[in-house]
Amino acid sequence: MLVVMALLLALPGTALAQDGELVPVSGLLEDGARFDNVTITVEGELIGDYGFRDDGVMWTQINDDSYARDALVDGGPRTGANVGIGVRMPSTLGENLDPVGGYRLEGPLVQLTGVWRYHDPNRGGESYLDVAELLVLETGRRLEEGPDWTVFALGVLLLGISLVMWRRNRHLTADRH
Amino acid sequence: MLIKPDREDLRIVAFALGRIFTVIAAASLLPLGWAVLGREWHPFASFLLMIGTFAFLGQLGLRYRPSDERLDWSHGMVVVALTWLAVPTIGSIPFIFSGHYGGPVDAIFDAMSGLTTTGLALVQDLDHMAPSLNFWRHLLHFLGGQGIVIAALVLFAGGGGLTLYYGEARDERILPSVRSTARFIWAVALVHLVAGVLVLGVIAHQVLGFEWKRAFFHALMVFFAAFDTGGFAPQSTSLGYYHSGIFEFAATVLMIAGAMSFGLHYALWRGPRRALFKNLETRTILTTFTFTMVLTMVGLGVAGIYTSVQGLTRQGFFQIVSAHSGTGFATIPSSELATWGGLAFAGMTVAMALGGMASSTAGGIKALRIGLTVKAVANQTKQLLLPEGAVVSTQYFQSGRKRLTPELAQSAMTVALLYVALFLLGTGVALGYGYGVQEALFESVSAGASVGLSVGVTEPSMPMLLKLTYMFQMWAGRLEFVAVFALLGFIYAWVRGK
Repeated sequence: MLVVMALLLALPGTALAQDGELVPVSGLLEDGARFDNVTITVEGELIGDYGFRDDGVMWTQINDDSYARDALVDGGPRTGANVGIGVRMPSTLGENLDPVGGYRLEGPLVQLTGVWRYHDPNRGGESYLDVAELLVLETGRRLEEGPDWTVFALGVLLLGISLVMWRRNRHLTADRH
Repeated sequence: MLIKPDREDLRIVAFALGRIFTVIAAASLLPLGWAVLGREWHPFASFLLMIGTFAFLGQLGLRYRPSDERLDWSHGMVVVALTWLAVPTIGSIPFIFSGHYGGPVDAIFDAMSGLTTTGLALVQDLDHMAPSLNFWRHLLHFLGGQGIVIAALVLFAGGGGLTLYYGEARDERILPSVRSTARFIWAVALVHLVAGVLVLGVIAHQVLGFEWKRAFFHALMVFFAAFDTGGFAPQSTSLGYYHSGIFEFAATVLMIAGAMSFGLHYALWRGPRRALFKNLETRTILTTFTFTMVLTMVGLGVAGIYTSVQGLTRQGFFQIVSAHSGTGFATIPSSELATWGGLAFAGMTVAMALGGMASSTAGGIKALRIGLTVKAVANQTKQLLLPEGAVVSTQYFQSGRKRLTPELAQSAMTVALLYVALFLLGTGVALGYGYGVQEALFESVSAGASVGLSVGVTEPSMPMLLKLTYMFQMWAGRLEFVAVFALLGFIYAWVRGK
């Protein structure tokens, strides 16, 4: 018995998922089957769009990568691609949320608890979190990104030179004809 | 004796490049305008620098007007090869300054992937990217898929159009002149653009519940990537983001339209349509699609990856259309695709390698070459089995009766073999870095056949040599080798010629 328990602990892929366990999104992407139909908790930033559908549910995406708290626009470090999953919740849960994350917008940081549906046969094999509870951990916020004046000046300079060259080329062509 | 290119040769190449860069500078006004409308001043500055660079190089090239503007075969091929190197390099300027890339190589990688309609990406934090930059990524698909050089052909008169047209891996002229063919290609694209964006936009708003503005943003991006068999997506979860069967279906229709040759589009518009199914290429692609789909479905079924028929059908069908058309959209994460072993892996990899139709926006070996190769091998076998002196018919039907000459068969087989070599190159480099055989082969075929599906090898932290190898594969695979060899020959003659 002890050997079996030790093996289960040593092999995370085979360990049983706990109800309500806080699971990183990367864990769901790597081994989604392990959490199938298990109630889990995920924390991260709501991002993309809020899609309120006619059947009374709202679809969006939750990312729990480093950008969820520290977007690149805000000077956050580059840590690779985004890590996110789709989430579905009753429309009533999503009605009063802050604007969803996107360009110059850090979306609300939330804790979602719900059932992980892996290859849901009722939705053509999609995988998503069926949310029952939502807790806002941090409100969303607007981010600033001003122009890079050096790049701007270089661009204007090159365009100016191009314009002069274009005029000279036109004269050369006219002279030829 | 090898003849060194003279000044006149260089003037011809520089002048043609100047024209093309001028067209690209004009096209780049679109993302600039988008940045202005969205008040995205950081990307605006970098778009300005990119346009300035294209315009400057364009005018520099136009200064060297040759005595005869007509391009011969080798000049045209060199121009095309250089264009497809220079445009991603300069076109990566907004990416470099965006902060979303690990460095210039990563930014050029994505621009090359965009222009060659591949879809592999090294972008970081895509979900917070400025919409104008996202638009530029997808516009690169459109420019590359429709043919940037073809665009220049439409706008500028001048000799040498045919060689430029063939240089961009277009195999057949649909209308008598190259210019009218180029115009037709752009007309097809624009009609699909209006219809495609309208349908996707209405679905995104009415079914998915997106705001109108966002609905049409998604529609435009997905259209560019689907019709031009590109594979970039506006969100990090690709088409899986939408969680909608109807949206996936609309994208599938566009992917199939993109993988069809423009000759087939012409026939569908102008008829006779019945003859289409007699075409060797149509029959070949229907056969290979059925074969790879059955292979993938059986593989998924045996492995028990999906527990329902609906799941197996929807996910399997979408991924295989995406692979065979060379698009690269996915509705499942790359980590999950990596678990598709056995027959499912074989089906997907073969589908990617075969690709779409000749003279389409798709990459890969192409259905016509596969059909010709199979027919040539079948004819050879028949000849061996029949009595000596017996004559085997060498005719095939492709927009009319044609004869399969030994030269044609050899040409089709050579290009097919070059693709195999290209796939092995990327596989070998990845194996050298310790990746598994399956993932190394999958990713390499995806890069070489301009597909864009990934099992997770392509990421910002991948080895530099592998990034460069995939970039070469995208470039050479998209141009179908001829223009690449012409450029290498031109450089060799420049160095060693007399």
